[in-house]
Amino acid sequence: MNDDRLDDPLLHQYRREPDPRFARSLRERLRRAERRQGISRPVMRALATACGIGVVVALFAIPSVRVSAQALLDLFRVRRFAAVQFDEARFEALRSADQDQGLLVFDRKETIRDAGPPRYVPTRDAASPEAGFAVSEPSYLPEGLRADSMFIQGEGEMRFTVSEAKLRSLLDRLDVKGVTVPSGLDGHWVEVRKPAVVMQKFRSKRRHAVLIQAKSPEVSIPAGWDVEQLGEIGLRALGLNSTEARRIAKATDWRNTLLVPVPLDVTTFRQVTVQGNSGLLITTKGETGPDGNHREGTMLMWTSGDRVYCLRGTLSAREVMLMAESLPS
Amino acid sequence: MANGDATVARLWLWATRARATDWDQRFAVELPRVYNFFRYRVGPGPVAEDLTSLTFEKAWGARNRYREDRAAFGTWLFTVARNVAIDHYRSARATVSLEDAEEIPGGSTPEEIAERRSDETHLGRLLARRTERERELLALKYGAEFTNREIARVTGLTESNVGTILHRAVQSIRAEWDKEPENE
Repeated sequence: MNDDRLDDPLLHQYRREPDPRFARSLRERLRRAERRQGISRPVMRALATACGIGVVVALFAIPSVRVSAQALLDLFRVRRFAAVQFDEARFEALRSADQDQGLLVFDRKETIRDAGPPRYVPTRDAASPEAGFAVSEPSYLPEGLRADSMFIQGEGEMRFTVSEAKLRSLLDRLDVKGVTVPSGLDGHWVEVRKPAVVMQKFRSKRRHAVLIQAKSPEVSIPAGWDVEQLGEIGLRALGLNSTEARRIAKATDWRNTLLVPVPLDVTTFRQVTVQGNSGLLITTKGETGPDGNHREGTMLMWTSGDRVYCLRGTLSAREVMLMAESLPS
Repeated sequence: MANGDATVARLWLWATRARATDWDQRFAVELPRVYNFFRYRVGPGPVAEDLTSLTFEKAWGARNRYREDRAAFGTWLFTVARNVAIDHYRSARATVSLEDAEEIPGGSTPEEIAERRSDETHLGRLLARRTERERELLALKYGAEFTNREIARVTGLTESNVGTILHRAVQSIRAEWDKEPENE
């Protein structure tokens, strides 16, 4: 029987959104269970690895803008995105190399301010004061797609110290040759400040999208660190050969560029312009739906002023671009 | 910092669509589907919420065993939901009356609210008259918003069988809806 013939509007009338209080309460209970179980191991491993790749990504990928008021730190912010391809097998290698729950190349890690879990907010007007900016909403939505829910996660701040020995050990383990780890990294604090992040979800029967908006995150590192050299090390750790890593490290404007590692074999990407700003459009293999069918995914990242945006979902590139362009500038 | 500590981690995850599962997102996407599955199955109200909670708690307890490469998350979750529904009926032998359960539906005017409530009660009554199998398929179709193919995958029925059962069920409901007065 054809699905369309069964699409009886009468039967759809029985659908209701769950009570938000019930949804919040259930999510909280599940979170407590997650904490008791130490969060899911795969998630922790991925996050830990991602943190561990801090030397690989954090220390080099967030752009240097200016020396802070204390003249002790370089402050990094995101102004544009650029893609660098890497072999996903290397990500798995990094993940398996992380035996210390996120301390892959770190000695110490401290949470200064806990961002807490994402919380449901009923409207963007309710989200804006906490986000610290006027939360935007696209005026264009692809056919069938509708605004579903909005969440906000508060500001967070952490700091960590890097271990030169651990970094050398990691490079050895990854069989990365010809890289000199600079001295003077040990014991210095690197601070990461995550601003409040607003996530708005859209969905239709078959598709979904998420618009993430935030102010730029900031990373402060001790002044004098050679970001280009650290960037090159990071690129080598991601699996790039020395020539390519050096070329990209030199060509990248570290002052305002966040390098986005994209898996070699599953994506295509290109630079685009969104409301006059440079953006990065990535098409992925998407995800498997409940029917087992694969749907192509698209992700667009761009910045506008001090704001960072990421729009991703099971939408076409054109739809994503139209949604992004329809945000109030 | 919660959920993995670092901005960098989040950016990394945003950027690479890391294979690690985003449980917040999964929850946000699947909650309305599971909740509505049980709404169609047992009616609105606390029982649907209880069974929804039970489904998520069971799924969360076993989520580390879920393998993304083996089954779509929705399929896996609804396998849990169906078992929860089966256990519910087995243990209580309770046929929760759809017509008894009420909730305040949305609507902008008292007239609209009254009309929607009346329609909902009437529809609930008609759903409650369906066979177990029909109700399950209707719940998967209209509550969980599965396609016939997805329902076939979850239930083990053939796609054409799913279509036939659903077609008959919808025809019956439609006929009874048109025929019967709302306040019997």
